[in-house]
Amino acid sequence: MVDDQVSIPILTDSDIVSARQQARELAKRFSFSSSELAGIAAAISELARNIVSYATQGTVNVSLIEEANKKGILVIVEDQGPGISDIPLAMQDGYSTSNSLGLGLPGVKRLMDSFEIQSEIGKGTTVIVKKWVLR
Amino acid sequence: MEKQSLPKSLNIDTLNLMNGMSLDENEIQHRKDWLQFDQSDEARLTELNEMAQGYADEVIESLYEHFLKFEDTQRFFEDPNILKRVKNLQKQYFLRLTKGNYDSKYIEERLKIGAVHASIGLDVKWYLGAYNFYMRAVATRLFKAFESKPEKALAAFFSLTKLVYMDIGLAIDTYIYQRESTIQRQQEAIRELSTPVLQLRKELLILPIIGAIDAQRARQLTEQLLHAIRDKRAKVVVVDITGVPTVDSRVANHLVQTVDASRLMGATLIITGLSAEVAQTLVTIGVDLTKIHTVGDLQGGIEEADRILGYQLIDSPADPSHLSSQE
Ligand SMILES: Nc1ncnc2c1ncn2[C@@H]1O[C@H](COP(=O)(O)OP(=O)(O)OP(=O)(O)O)[C@@H](O)[C@H]1O
Ligand SMILES: [Mg+2]
Repeated sequence: MVDDQVSIPILTDSDIVSARQQARELAKRFSFSSSELAGIAAAISELARNIVSYATQGTVNVSLIEEANKKGILVIVEDQGPGISDIPLAMQDGYSTSNSLGLGLPGVKRLMDSFEIQSEIGKGTTVIVKKWVLR
Repeated sequence: MEKQSLPKSLNIDTLNLMNGMSLDENEIQHRKDWLQFDQSDEARLTELNEMAQGYADEVIESLYEHFLKFEDTQRFFEDPNILKRVKNLQKQYFLRLTKGNYDSKYIEERLKIGAVHASIGLDVKWYLGAYNFYMRAVATRLFKAFESKPEKALAAFFSLTKLVYMDIGLAIDTYIYQRESTIQRQQEAIRELSTPVLQLRKELLILPIIGAIDAQRARQLTEQLLHAIRDKRAKVVVVDITGVPTVDSRVANHLVQTVDASRLMGATLIITGLSAEVAQTLVTIGVDLTKIHTVGDLQGGIEEADRILGYQLIDSPADPSHLSSQE
């Protein structure tokens, strides 16, 4: 059971690469297609990138889950950073406070099957996403 | 460590060191607090100065006698002029320990000494050994001078120990800092070297990118590429990203910006090595890939580049069929 889960501290760019790789390795155990694997890796990359950009440090937790006849992957990305004041705004395509594309959060939502975000000013942000194996 | 003799003068940017190592007033106080170094220590040390002046020469002579017994330290003092100069500096250093005012100016001097020793390639072990030598030399003299008041000698010795440990801490941090800076500089150099802009033929450049692209590298790559486009008067550039492990929206953004910038310089960019899965993922995220001209692999990219360049040859006023179709 222990092996069905990894937790990667995120501080630098190289941690993002290692989070992607480890999540990919884990997800490979379920029969995700290669484009789904790419999508999972991209989602983790976007969320971890946000930690490095806005919260300085946080964690990416990835686990394999099974629920009523379906299998999938659960990704919880959390930080104790500044938090997001207006979540609906942050979820809009093109909204960015760093002059970037502003596609990270809405893009992750499109890539994954479920998307939840909690954030409190001064406390931090948690994003929980799931992707199920198509059968 | 390579053999080096002591250079005539060493330019050490201490201010830069202080900033780089985040040694502000706060941090200095923090270090003192940790060593429990306070006003009473300062007072005790200052009281020793007169006495120290009396035995400084003697201590330093014996220290250098010791240095000259070892090949590793000996090689620094082959020139008698250098030896004389260094002894003099050493004496100043030694006396400074009992002069009070252990403020940021003091720290700066200490960093400089650490940096000089690091840059001439003197290993930390020699440095530490010399400190130990000092402590023993001073202890012996202190206990002799305060023979009737050993507790006074001990208190003074403890104060000196605290200060010396602060100096040692600073020296070691300087060594580490310098080494880290060197490693960082080397990494940057390697990065630059590892991303050559190759000229395949007239007007055609190839830029194979290997390794992760972060913001800093993206900036560097774009800059390098734009220079090459200008210098080589390139019309088409094939950027191969097969060796880039993670192509996320950030990287795609950099690519889009590089495409835009190259276009302004009059060159067309072709991106090769973007896998179908990644391209699809980027589109799902919402990245506008229509601006990026992608071709599956490097070979295909070069063929496409040739096609574009060939087009331009035909695309001249000398070609009547083209002129007429332009209306
Ligand atoms: N973990 C976080 N902590 C604090 N603020 C965040 C966090 N994640 C996102 N944000 C805020 O939400 C905005 C939108 O995030 P999103 O990832 O969608 O876009 P971006 O990071 O600005 O650009 P892109 O991800 O496309 O490079 C960010 O600009 C930032 O202000
Ligand atoms: Mg983002």
